[in-house]
Formats: sequence, C-alpha cells, structure tokens
Amino acid sequence: MTTIDRRNLIKLGAGASALMALGVPRAVLAQAAAQGQLTLAFPADVPTWDPNARTLAAVQSLYKLVFDQPLTQNPDVSIKPALITKWAFDNPTTLSLEFRPDVVFHDGTPMTAADFRFSFFERAKLPVPEGGRRLDTAFIWRKVTDIEVQSPTKAVMKFSEPMPSAIAWLAFLCSFVVPKAYVERVGLAEFTAKPVGSGPYRLVEYQQGARIVLEANDRYWGGKPAIPKVTIEIVRDPTARVAAFESRRADVAIDVPIREAQRLGTQPGVTARLDPIADIMLLQITRNGGFADDRARLAAHHAIDKVAISRALFGGAATPISVPAAKGTPGYPPDFEFQFSTERAQALLRDLGHSAQNPLNIKFASSNGAFPNDFEMARAIVQMWRRVGINADLEPIELSVYQERLRAGTLPEATLFSWGNAVGDPEMYGGYLLDPKSIFSAFKTEELAPRIQPLLTETDEAKRIQGYRDAHRFAAERGFTIPLLQTVKTIVHRNEVTITKYDNGWVLPNTYSFKS
Amino acid sequence: MAFLTLQLLFRRLVLAIPILLCVSALVFGILRLLPADPVGMSLPPGATAADYEKLKQAFGLDRPLFEQYLIWLGKLLSGDMGGSIFFRRPVTELIAKALPATLELVSAGFALGVIVGGAGGLGMFAMRGGAGEHALDGATTIMMAIPEFLWAILLILFVGVSLQLLPFIGRLGPGIQLPPPVTGFLLVDSVLTGRWDSLRSALLHLVLPATALAIGLAPLVMRVLRSSLLETVQDDYITQARLRGVSERRILLRHALPNAALPAISLIGVQGGFMFGGTVLVEMIFAYPGIGNLMVDAVRNHDLPVIQAVALVYCVLVLGINAVVDVAYMAVNPRLRLAGSR
Repeated sequence: MTTIDRRNLIKLGAGASALMALGVPRAVLAQAAAQGQLTLAFPADVPTWDPNARTLAAVQSLYKLVFDQPLTQNPDVSIKPALITKWAFDNPTTLSLEFRPDVVFHDGTPMTAADFRFSFFERAKLPVPEGGRRLDTAFIWRKVTDIEVQSPTKAVMKFSEPMPSAIAWLAFLCSFVVPKAYVERVGLAEFTAKPVGSGPYRLVEYQQGARIVLEANDRYWGGKPAIPKVTIEIVRDPTARVAAFESRRADVAIDVPIREAQRLGTQPGVTARLDPIADIMLLQITRNGGFADDRARLAAHHAIDKVAISRALFGGAATPISVPAAKGTPGYPPDFEFQFSTERAQALLRDLGHSAQNPLNIKFASSNGAFPNDFEMARAIVQMWRRVGINADLEPIELSVYQERLRAGTLPEATLFSWGNAVGDPEMYGGYLLDPKSIFSAFKTEELAPRIQPLLTETDEAKRIQGYRDAHRFAAERGFTIPLLQTVKTIVHRNEVTITKYDNGWVLPNTYSFKS
Repeated sequence: MAFLTLQLLFRRLVLAIPILLCVSALVFGILRLLPADPVGMSLPPGATAADYEKLKQAFGLDRPLFEQYLIWLGKLLSGDMGGSIFFRRPVTELIAKALPATLELVSAGFALGVIVGGAGGLGMFAMRGGAGEHALDGATTIMMAIPEFLWAILLILFVGVSLQLLPFIGRLGPGIQLPPPVTGFLLVDSVLTGRWDSLRSALLHLVLPATALAIGLAPLVMRVLRSSLLETVQDDYITQARLRGVSERRILLRHALPNAALPAISLIGVQGGFMFGGTVLVEMIFAYPGIGNLMVDAVRNHDLPVIQAVALVYCVLVLGINAVVDVAYMAVNPRLRLAGSR
C-alpha cells in the first residue's frame, strides 16, 4: 500500500513541476523595459479621475500626466507658464489671464477660457447632492466671484477680496482644467470612467488600485513626450515595489525605503536618488501640559540634533530646517538658523527647575508608517530629549486620530507631523500651519494672528514674502513650532532611463527619456 | 438531497440575518466611538471651521449614533451603501469593482489549500512512520509557523525576484488589456470573450497570492486529515473490509476517506473564513486590486462608509463559505442527511 501511494505522490509532484516549467515561459514574465515603454512602481492610486475633486499631494503627478494645470512649475519649483502664458493682477481683486491658443483636449476639441471658467468657477458652484460634498476646488477658489471670459484665450478672475496666493494655487494640487463640453455631454460618471484632459498622456487603460496605462498625446502643446507608453503599477507595499524593480518588472520605483534605495544604488546599472523636497517634517506644538512655558518648548527644539537624525535615518539627504518651510523657498529666512545646543537646552530647563535627574514630563505622539522613518525619528528625538532632562511619553497615533485631537485642541505637547507643499509658496507653509484661525494650526496664539493674517491678503509680493519670513522666524524663536527636516523623496531607476528631478517630488514621465 | 440542501441553506439564510445585523451594529458603533476624524482628514486647504461643520452635517456625523445607524441601515437595505469620503464615489461602485478580484483570489487560494491539504494528508498517511511523513510533518510546521503576509513576501523574493518564475504584481501582465467586461470576473470574462492571453496572464498572476493564502489552510488540513485517517483505519469496519480482501487503495479512498474527511471539512469551513481576512495584507503586498486593498485605503483614510461596507461584505462571504461547507458536510455524512430527513 505504502509503496503504491508514494509512487503516485511522486508522479503527481513530477507532473505538477513539469507543468509549471512548461507553462511559464520567461518571455511572459519579462515585463519591464520593453523598448519605448516605461513601467513605474508607484505607491498610490487616484481616488477618482475627477482631478478637481481632491487635494491629494500624493497623486498630483498622476493627474498631471492626463490633465493640465493653468500654470506649472520648473524643477526648482518656480512657477512657469503652462495653459496660461501671461498673468497679471490689474488690481488687488482682478487677475487677468491669457491662454495658449494651441491646446486641444484628447478628444480633439480646443481648450479655451470657457473650459477654465467651467473648471474653476462653474463646477465649484454646482449644487451638491444630498450626502455629497463639493469639489475641493470650491473651497480653494471660494473668493472667486466670477471669471469673465473675454475671448477664447483671455479671461479675468474676479475675487471678493485679494488672493495673493492665486498664482501659486493655479499650479497646485487639484487646480486642473477639464473639458466643459465633454463633461456636460457625458456626465460626471462617464467622465471619471473615461477621463479626457489636455495633458501629455491619454489614459488608455485603468484598473482601479492596480494599473494605469498611458499613451503619449501626439498633439500635446508642450511637444509629444519622448516615452510613448507609460505603465504605472500601483504597488502600495514598499517591499513589493523594491521587488518589482529588482525583478525588472519596473524601470523606476518611487518612494522605496531609504536603506533599500541606498542598497539598490550600489548595484550596477541602477541609480538611486535620495533628494530633499519641498515637503517638511515638523513637531506640531501645543501649550498643553509641560509645554506651557516658552522655555520648555525652546529647550526641546535646541535639544534636537537634526543633522544626526538626517544622517542616521535619511542617509544625510534630509535637509535640516529652522522654520516651517523648505530651504530655498521664498518664505525661508536665509540668514536664520536655530542652533542645536544641548547646553542651551539644559540651561533653559534649569531655569524651570528641570534636569536629567528631575526631568520635565511631556506627552509626544507620532504616526507610525505614515511617512518614511516617522516613528524611528520620534524615538531618536525622545532619546535626545532624555539627555537634556525632558522625559517624553511616546505614543503612536493614526492620522485620523491626529485630526480629531487637532480639532478638539487635545493634542499632546508635541506631535510629529508631515506637511506637504509642492508649490513652495509661504502661505501654504506658515499661512496654514501658524495662523490661529487655520484648521491646520496646532499652536493657537493670538501673538501670531497679526503677523500672519494680513499676509493672506497682502498684494505687495515683496512685502508678503518678507512678512512670512519674519513670521516663520518669530514662531521658531518663540517655540510655537519645532521644524525638523525636509522630506526625502527616493527614486530608483535603471540607468537607461533619464529622469528629471523635481524639488517638490513630482514624478513626471513626460519629462523622462530613454538613453539611446 | 436537493430538498435537504435547500432546507439547510434556508436555515442558514434565516440565521444570517441577526448575525449580519449584529455585525453591522458592532462595526458601526466601534468606528463611531474611535477618537478619529474622517471629515478633518478630507478637508482641503482653505476650508474653515464652518466648512467642517457643514461637511459633518452632510455626512450625517452630527446626529445621534443610533439615528446615524438607522439611516445607514435603511439605505443599505435599499442597496445604497453611501458615498465614500475618500474616493468621492458610491461605495457600491467601489465594492462592485473590487469584489470579483477578491472572490477569484480566495476561490483559487481555497481550492489550492484544499487540494494540497487533502493530497498532503493522504500522502502523510500513506507514508506514515517513514521519512516522508516526518519531512511533510516538518514542512507543515514551517508553513504554520510563518504568517501569510510573510509568506507573501518570501514568495515574491524567492519565486518572483530570484527565480523570476512567476509574476507578482497586479492581475495582468503589461501589454495585456482587460477583456471586455461581462461578469466583472476576469477569468470568466476572459473565457467568455475568448481572450486566452488575458486568461493565461490572469492565471499566472493568481499563483503566488493564492499560494500565500493557501499556506494558511493546507497544512492544517493535512494534519487533521492524517490524524483522522489514522483513527479511522483502526475501526472495525476497516478491519472487516481487509478480511473481505478489499484492496488497501479501495479501503482508503472508498471507506476510510469519507469518514476521515469530516473533521477536515469542518476545519476548512473555519479556516476558509479566516482566508478572507488574509486577503487584506496579501492583496496589498501583491498589488491585487480586491476589497482587501480597498479596505487598506479606507482604514488609512478613516473612510467610514467604505470600512463599514467592506466589513459587512466580509461577513456575508464568511457566512456564505460556511453554508457551502455545511452542504459539503451533509453530502459526505449520511447521518446528517438522515437526521435532516426526519
């Protein structure tokens, strides 16, 4: 009995192995790097193909491949013309715009100022069905009272009050132009199923949560992209993104773990980029508990060795920052540096009666896995604080819990947080993070209100920028915020692919090419 | 038999109603009691405190908990699962797109787990006392000691990266387009539309994630079946069959196996339910666009309507798989059929 069954078992195993070997030719598996096709392993998918619906920094690059923004940015994040070629404030509440005459949507219809009006005004005013919500553009462009279309290539935006950040917003997040005629003809459901934009690529296939296949737009106003076909594999798990790259199923992998990027970068034929971008990591501070006194907060800031954290966790690529803005952006005061000094931290704590033996007890929250090395960074900060006499009780926190506590004013003394600002405008840093009226600010102090709020409507650009620099510096010097580092973007790619590095972390395959 | 099956399924259906109500109330209540803020997470820059309140009203989150639940339940009964806070799309649409992928994956994992588990159990029994049994025993220990998500990563690294034998991302290879949608099930649609390239690619893409899921089921089935067979062959009727000169093969397959399979079938019912839970991580790791992946996105963004709906769908699937196992159990156990007919 035993002999017969064992034989059968062996036969079965051998048969299965043979089938496996015969059934899976390697040609089928050689997925990536076919000539003229680029495959990216990307960490996020669009929630909807309506680009005006959500302000999601993680997928702005994906929208930019299919749709166009009125303005765009250079790799150094400075604003540059796109659909809009000229712009000027006629007065503080009137912005004149001129559009390119040669832009066509993927369905062949021309893009005109009427499409711009539809995207930035008409859609935002549409009635909201019960249980639904308005587009995010409706919140952002709430000050727009009308957009006057003067000709197919000229329009005037009218605001209820000055909106100096309007120029930046025309290149930011969900500010995209959609085709009025197509959307009105087919309806929203059909539009999101078969989106039509004027961007460098046409969407030819979309598998929700899995894959986006794009083909170059031959009639793109900016010139046909060098890479005719781009496949974006949505791979949420970072280990799987690394595996996709290593197995040559992807030519480019985005946001791989720092250590993996460093390891892959040592392999022949592979380039790993670890670059600081305009997004920042900071501690959101409150006056709760042990941080009621300015000296305690300043001591906590002085005690953090940001260079050491950058070196240990980000391969030295994360640029330390002294104010809540990325270095080199307009709102960053170039001559200011908040010193790392354990002596000053200890002295400030001594004034409050605290030392390593009699530490100041605080609560500290951090996300765990929401952005690279967040919890590790929090643990490093706890150790640095312990050395000077701050005993932090570290607690992991979900982003949704953070939002609830932020709204309720119950955040602990410090919370590690990441803030995105691809456009680099100072309003999107200090204007949101420090204004006590903002729903995003944690430290609600009226001392900051007169420094920030006038800037929200300041039309003198030089004065506005200087105002933000001063406010950012003031907030850091008073311990209203503890900025840490610029976020690091990792991109690993094969050497055959030439990529354009954007300082705001954009991943735009239309600016990539294959080396001949 | 057909009548008894229908009767059993009807009983299961009636029992499922209170279970689903309890699960829905539990999930709904727990999610609302968590100190988390889905509205705050979805607010764009430029939104004010007044906008926050308006949105809270729009989502009905300002109402008493019980009222919120009743409204949600009422809509659910009419087939409306609400709108996603994160995706800004109807939840029903999101689930309808993602569910077929999960059902195909779980079916493949389930089939693989049962076949490998059954064959392995028979193999262990056949090789009892020998080196083969010890080897298989060791293998099952290793399989059970490592969690599914780790198996998923190991399979990717070994089979996908090192050997480059099988694909491990998504459901189809690049260059292969989705077949025209007929049923929403990729494998079925590929067959119905004669798209053999997509069928082949989809099957290849199923192998690794299905294996990762099957590893949670197969070793348990192997062990239970082996133990059960060892007990069964000691029974008098097996001895009598041997005395009658019936071959060992026939004794095993015709007489011992149907009885020995009963505990394994019960186990399959329980583990099959767990398999759906395993899809959450396995789908994320293999970039497989099913409801597990959807759940990950929903949880990250605290998208309450999606979390509630997916949890309920999981519950329905587990109840469904239990009903199928009950029918199978009755089919192989004459005593149950007899009891049912009385």
